[in-house]
Amino acid sequence: MTSGSRRAAFAAIVAALLAAHGGAFGDESGAGPWDLGQLMRELSSVHTARARFTEKRYLKMLDRPIESSGTLAFEAPARLEKLTLLPKRELLRVEQDKVTLEIGAQPKRRTLSLSDHPQLRAFVESIRATLAGDQAALERFYQVDLSGSAERWRLKLQPSDMKTKSLVREIRITGRHSEIIGVEVDQADGDRSVMSMVPDDS
Amino acid sequence: MIRDRIAVALWLAVLAAAAFVIAGARFSTDLSAFLPKQPTAAQQLLVDELREGVVSKLILVSVAGAPPDTLAAASRSLAARLRADRRFVSVDNGDAAQLERDRAFVFEHRYLLSPAIDAAHFSAKSLRVALAESLELLGSPAGMMAKPLIPADPTGEVLRLIDGMAGAAAPATHEGIWVGPDAKEALLVLQTRAAGFDIDAQEEALAGLRAAFADVQRAPGMAALTLALTGPGVFAVQTRAAIKRDAARFSTLATIFIATLLLTVFRSPRVLLLGLVPVASGAAVGVAAVALHFGEVHGITLGFGATLIGESVDYAIYLFMQTDPRRGAAGTLARIWPTLRLGVATSICGFSAMLLSGFPGLAQLGLFSIAGIATAALVTRFVLPVLLPPDFAITGIEPVAARVRAAFARARVLLPVLGLAAIAAAAVWITRDQRWSDELASLSPVSIAQQQLDQRLRDALGAADVRHVVVARAASSDQALALAERVGAALDAAVGTEVISGYESPARILPSAATQMRRRDSLPETAALRTRIAEAARGTPFRAGTFEPFVEAVRQTRAGPLLERESFGGTKLGIRLDSLLVQRDHAWYAILPLSGVKDVANLKRALASLYDAQVVLLDTKAETDAIYGTYRREAVSLSLLGAVAIVVLLAAAMRSPRRALKVCIPLAASVLVTTGLLLALGQTLTMFHLVGMLLVVAVGSNYVLFFDRSLTDEWSDRTSLSLALANVTTVIGFGMLGFSSVPVLSAIGSTVGIGAALSLIFAAALAPRPRAV
Repeated sequence: MTSGSRRAAFAAIVAALLAAHGGAFGDESGAGPWDLGQLMRELSSVHTARARFTEKRYLKMLDRPIESSGTLAFEAPARLEKLTLLPKRELLRVEQDKVTLEIGAQPKRRTLSLSDHPQLRAFVESIRATLAGDQAALERFYQVDLSGSAERWRLKLQPSDMKTKSLVREIRITGRHSEIIGVEVDQADGDRSVMSMVPDDS
Repeated sequence: MIRDRIAVALWLAVLAAAAFVIAGARFSTDLSAFLPKQPTAAQQLLVDELREGVVSKLILVSVAGAPPDTLAAASRSLAARLRADRRFVSVDNGDAAQLERDRAFVFEHRYLLSPAIDAAHFSAKSLRVALAESLELLGSPAGMMAKPLIPADPTGEVLRLIDGMAGAAAPATHEGIWVGPDAKEALLVLQTRAAGFDIDAQEEALAGLRAAFADVQRAPGMAALTLALTGPGVFAVQTRAAIKRDAARFSTLATIFIATLLLTVFRSPRVLLLGLVPVASGAAVGVAAVALHFGEVHGITLGFGATLIGESVDYAIYLFMQTDPRRGAAGTLARIWPTLRLGVATSICGFSAMLLSGFPGLAQLGLFSIAGIATAALVTRFVLPVLLPPDFAITGIEPVAARVRAAFARARVLLPVLGLAAIAAAAVWITRDQRWSDELASLSPVSIAQQQLDQRLRDALGAADVRHVVVARAASSDQALALAERVGAALDAAVGTEVISGYESPARILPSAATQMRRRDSLPETAALRTRIAEAARGTPFRAGTFEPFVEAVRQTRAGPLLERESFGGTKLGIRLDSLLVQRDHAWYAILPLSGVKDVANLKRALASLYDAQVVLLDTKAETDAIYGTYRREAVSLSLLGAVAIVVLLAAAMRSPRRALKVCIPLAASVLVTTGLLLALGQTLTMFHLVGMLLVVAVGSNYVLFFDRSLTDEWSDRTSLSLALANVTTVIGFGMLGFSSVPVLSAIGSTVGIGAALSLIFAAALAPRPRAV
């Protein structure tokens, strides 16, 4: 974790301690009951984050899951990069509205625009808006339901738009303070993927 | 007098006949009259494409003046309105939703369209490789998008096809809408239903576009938006409007000035109107002659023809001014007619060279001028004296006339200055590298700002490099497609090397029937395919039965019909196909635009085996410039021919080469100095300057002949005044046009304005020394 996100995590711990003693300090702002707004504020204080991921995709047409692993990098507010290293090198980069895909050994680069692919955009925003702590963007695409505590929270995202609904049934993001530790996607056709992440300090 | 009656009756009969012919004449505004009559096949195709091809129908639109989000919304709103407008065949603004039908079409017909399909493509071995790749794709970030396609298209034909059809680089987008590089303008590409040369229809389409934009502007936050348009049709409409506006404005002004001047001199509105009779009769007969001989009259002929016979206004002035009470109009005519006749013959000689032109437009102008001037002269000679009041004479002008003559007599002192001017002009002519502009663009009355806008929008839209195209000609559309496939095979070898970076082909959109049949025949039967896919899937995670949609799609293609031109319905692909596969005069042409051409020599080598009359590589810019260059060079040599004819004519008429030369020197000198002056003012000469020069010679020859013959007799005062008056009206009339913003009008105006003034000065300065009266 970079120093920025470390500071953020430290701040979060302090905040959590304060929240635990909330009664003693009265109704000081930011120290009320833990809610989505607070999680988002905490997440938005993170400017860069890196993690290693492993992902398993369960597809109906396959009798066993596809596994892959690599690194994820986020740079506030709108840059997200997923670099798959195993089984093959592949790169997915999202910058603002532009998506770049590099697939294959002699990478063939494709670029497309998120706004041309609303479903893809909804999917990208589930992770990107969460990382950025952008509650408005998140709620534009999903009905958001937060449960758990700052120590172990879970965001349940259900698409609000019919087109996205035809693709994604539900996305569950789990985390600890300003850190995301897992993303599970249930697709409308019954396929699903499970991704888990650990902070990458290298 | 019976002779007068016959003259008037004949005149009226000719006018009636001319009116009858004109009433039934076809008028065209089609630029191709100014393109070659016997072009090469490639040039013909180019001309046709410029006239009515898809290129001629494109309108590029820029909407600016708001933040990117607003621009994108405005673009969507404008596009929605235009898509409902029947005047537009296609409206593109980048909106991907518009491509849904094309995607569905490509998906449905993938096994007829894909170049990868052959007998080996669906063997168990190939399928096994394809499944391994599919599995990789499913695991990749693109997996979610690719997943729905894989069971129906495990070999990835749809992706292959879409990659192949993508063509040139797409423009930048904002929220999926095309924008300029800095997102300061939203971009749209429209295609009109009407051909580019149909200016009325283009004007209507543009009006529809502006109305739609005005609607968009009414929405909140959109009022500040600005609209900029470019494209061949836009240029044509703007040009016509500008010429109409300037011609109307400047000729109204000139008419007011000239009419006031002439009215002051003639002191009779009736005489003023009679002065227009010869030129009006000449114009009518000129139009009728062109209509009879060419079958149609071009708009440019009308506009410039009327200008070219402007000389004939002078005939009436010569007659009116020189008529004095003692001899009457008829007597005066008898005296000045030989001079006038020679002047007319000189002009006709000059213009007749244009008749030989290989360009119908120039030949039309020549015929119009000859018929018009001859008619005007005859009307002046035989009809005007009858129409004038019997005792007509302009009186009280003697003092002014005497002063003018005295001034002319003193013009000789200007000789050293004029000599120096001629030397300077010759020096300018010799030292100037670029005297003539040989780019077609110089003919174009489109302003530099408009041309820059056009270039900027084309760059931003990544519009294909339409400069180099390969054209394949055949008897049927299918044969043209087959030929395009052979050209494509040859080009494939050149793509990716340093020769070209890519190409488009109609055969990629619609393969030839033979190719489609070969692909269809190579598809395996259902049972065999099922066995092969099961074999290929063995050992992979794919579950049994996953690829049933694929098996079904192959079965349907095997049983289904081949694709034809009509199969494409209203897809973008269909519109594109229509632009790349065109029928002209019983022949079909496949057009393959090339992009990133770096090595023309190697490109020609790559096409060598096909490169004949049926397949040609066309460099459109070189070709259009060549057409114009030929046009201009031909006009120059014809003008020189005309000049020689004039010298010969004068020598014969005057029975003395020396006198003829004396007449020619002032004309040549004024043309030389006018040219030098124009070049020194920074102009590059075009066709229109040349047309102006012809007129200078025509007008100037009258001056010189009058100086040569008439200033030596007792009538010289009145003759001098008539020359001065004729000259002032010409200089006013054309000088005004010189201020026009339309290059065509200003070129002719400035050339004739300067040239006519110089002609008179040179004629006076070089005139034979008058005898004492």
